[in-house]
Amino acid sequence: MTSAADPLAPPLLDIRDLHVKVGGQEVLRGISLVVRAGEVHAIMGPNGSGKSTLAHVLAGRPGYEIVSGSASFEGRDLFALAPEQRARAGLFLGFQYPVEIPGVNNAYLLKAAVNAARRERGLAELDAFEFLSVVRTKIRLMQIDESFLSRGVNEGFSGGEKKRNEILQLLVLEPKLALLDETDSGLDIDALKLVANGINSLRAAERAIVLVTHYQRMLDFVVPDYVHVLARGRIARSGDRTLALELEKRGYDWIGEQAAA
Amino acid sequence: MASPAATRPSETLDRILRDYQAVAARLPDAAVTRDARAHAVRELSRYGWPKASDEQWRYTNLRAFEAVPAFGPAVPVPELLLPELAPELPPALPGFQRLLYVDGVRQLGAAASAAATATTTAGPDWPAEQRFGLLCDMFASDVAALRIRGSAAVEVLFLTSAAAAGAACYPRLQVALEPDSELKLVERHLGAPPAPTLVCANIAIELGRGARLMHYRLQQCGPRTAFADTLDARLAEQASYSVRQVAIGAGSARTSAQVRLSGRGAALSWQAIAVGRGQQVHDAALKVEHLAPDTRTEEVFRGIADERARIAFSGHIHIAACAPGSDARQSLRGLIEGAGAEIDLRPRLEINTDEVKAQHGATTGALDENLMFYLLARGIDRSTARALLKWAFLGDVLRAIDLREVRRAAEQGAAGQLPDVVAIGALT
Repeated sequence: MTSAADPLAPPLLDIRDLHVKVGGQEVLRGISLVVRAGEVHAIMGPNGSGKSTLAHVLAGRPGYEIVSGSASFEGRDLFALAPEQRARAGLFLGFQYPVEIPGVNNAYLLKAAVNAARRERGLAELDAFEFLSVVRTKIRLMQIDESFLSRGVNEGFSGGEKKRNEILQLLVLEPKLALLDETDSGLDIDALKLVANGINSLRAAERAIVLVTHYQRMLDFVVPDYVHVLARGRIARSGDRTLALELEKRGYDWIGEQAAA
Repeated sequence: MASPAATRPSETLDRILRDYQAVAARLPDAAVTRDARAHAVRELSRYGWPKASDEQWRYTNLRAFEAVPAFGPAVPVPELLLPELAPELPPALPGFQRLLYVDGVRQLGAAASAAATATTTAGPDWPAEQRFGLLCDMFASDVAALRIRGSAAVEVLFLTSAAAAGAACYPRLQVALEPDSELKLVERHLGAPPAPTLVCANIAIELGRGARLMHYRLQQCGPRTAFADTLDARLAEQASYSVRQVAIGAGSARTSAQVRLSGRGAALSWQAIAVGRGQQVHDAALKVEHLAPDTRTEEVFRGIADERARIAFSGHIHIAACAPGSDARQSLRGLIEGAGAEIDLRPRLEINTDEVKAQHGATTGALDENLMFYLLARGIDRSTARALLKWAFLGDVLRAIDLREVRRAAEQGAAGQLPDVVAIGALT
C-alpha cells in the first residue's frame, strides 16, 4: 500500500449498507465503503454492476431512490445535502459524459464554481485577475488552449477534450474528494497520460480520489491504494493494486460467479 | 385559409372601415396609392377580421388588437416636441445610415440623414394569414423605401411616441435590392406609449438575382402596445436573405411572414427568438415557399415563456413540385418557465417533389435536467443554474447576430425579459 492516509483519521467518506433503486430496480444492494483523506480508491466492475450509479448517487443526481443505508462526508449526512451543497462542501464528480452547454462559457462556469466553493469555506471571492492567474497555470498543465475559456462549456469538444476539461475543473476547484466516473473511457494513450498527470498532481494528504473505471490501464498511471470490485450492486472483493492486475488477466466473470454464490 | 364567404364583417371590421372613411381623404398618395388603399379595403372586407377559430390566428391575442381605441393614424408629432414625446434614441450604429420614423412618419431632424426615395408600389396580394398587412396598406402615412444598387448599411428606427397613445402607427418599409447588391438592414421598433396603441407594420422585400440581404429585426415596444408586423419577401435566382429576429416587447405581438424562393439557388436563413413574461403574447406565422430548384431554408426558433406568457410559432415550409434539390431545415424549441405559461410550436413540411433534403424538429418543455445537474454538481446554486441555462437556450440565435452593436442590443433586450439573467451577470 502506498497510502498517505492516517489509518486512525476519521473517514472522509463513510458509506454504510447502501441500497439504491433506479426505476424500481435495486441497483446498489448493500454497499459499504470507507475512504480516508490521502487515499486513492479504484472501483471496478463490469457494465451494469452499479459503479456509475454509486458515483452519481453520492453526487446527488436526481432519479435515484435511496432505499436504506447511509453516506456521510466529513461526518455530515451526505443525502441531506442538495447536489450544489455537496459540491461546495468539497465533493467533485467527474462526468463520464460531460454535457455541452453552448452559451455558457467555460470561464464563467469555472469562476462561478470556484467562488461558490470559496464562499462556503469563508474565503474571499477571486476577482477576474486572480481567477485568471489561477486558471492559466492549470490550463497549461492540461495542455488546453487559452481561447477555450471564452468558448461554450464543452461546445464542439472532442471526447478527449471534454475529459481534459473535467480534469481542469477538478484542478481549479481542488475538492476534498474527487469521484471520477470512467474518466479514462474513450481516451487514447497520450490523452490518458495527460489526464492521469492532472489527477496525480492533485494527490495530497488532505484529499481523496475515487476512480470509477472499467479497465485496469488507468491504474498504471494513477496507482490506487485500494481496489474494489463491484458485481451485482455489491462490493464483491477488495484488495490492493494486484487485484486490478488479476482482473486484467482473468476478466470479471469469476468475480460475478463468486458474487452470485 | 379562412373562407371569405363564411366570414361576416365583425364589429371590429366595422370600426376599421368607419375610421378609414374618417381619414381617407387626408392620407398621402405618396405612401400608398389611392388604388392600393381601395384594394386593401376590399380585401380586408372580403376576408373579414380574423377569428380565434381560424387555424393561423388561434394563438394571436386578437382581443388586444380589438381593444385598440382608434385605428386612424396618430397625428404627426411636431419636430419641436419630439425630445419630450419620443423616447431616447439608441446610439447610432457605426457605418450605418439612420432613418428615423416617429409614429410611422419620417423625421428629417439631426438624427436622420439622407432621404430614401419613396415609391408608390402597391402591397402584394396578401393572403388571409397576413391581413394585418392590409390594415397598414389602408392607413399608412409614410414609407421607408430603399432601392439599393451596390452595397449599403441602413438602420430604420420606428419609434412610437407618447403622443400616439390611444391611436395607431403604421410603419412601412419597402426594400428592393438590385442584382448582386448587398444590404445590411437594421429594423427596430421602439417606444412605450402610456395607453393602448396599435403598431401595425408592413415590410416588403424584393431581392434581385444574386442579391444579399442581412435583416436584423428588433421589436422592443412597450407593454401597452399591440404590435403586428407583416412581411413579404421574394427572392430571385441565387439571392440570399438572412433574418435575425428578436421579439421581446409589446403586450401582444403577431408576426405574419411569407418568403418566396422564386429563383434557382435562392436561400433563406430565418433565426428568431421570442421571450415573454407577465401576460405577454408573441405569435408568429412564417410560410416559406420553395418555388425553384436548389433552394434552401434554414429556420431556427427559440422561445421562452415565463410567468403567464404565451408564445406560438408556426413554421410552414412548402416545397413545390418544380423545386427539386431543395434543402429545408427547421429547428423549433420552446422553454416553458412559468406555471401558467404556454408554448405552441407548429412545424409543417409539405413536400411535393422527390430529391429534397428536409429535416425538422420541434420540442417544448422545461430546462434539461442533465444540464442542470452538471451545473449543480459544480456548486452553482439552483437559481443561477436556471438563469444560465435560460440564457444558453437563446444562445443559438443571439450568437448568430454578427453585428456586435445589434447583438448587444438584442442581448440586453432579452436579458431585460429575464431578470435572473441580469442578476447573475451572465450578460458579459
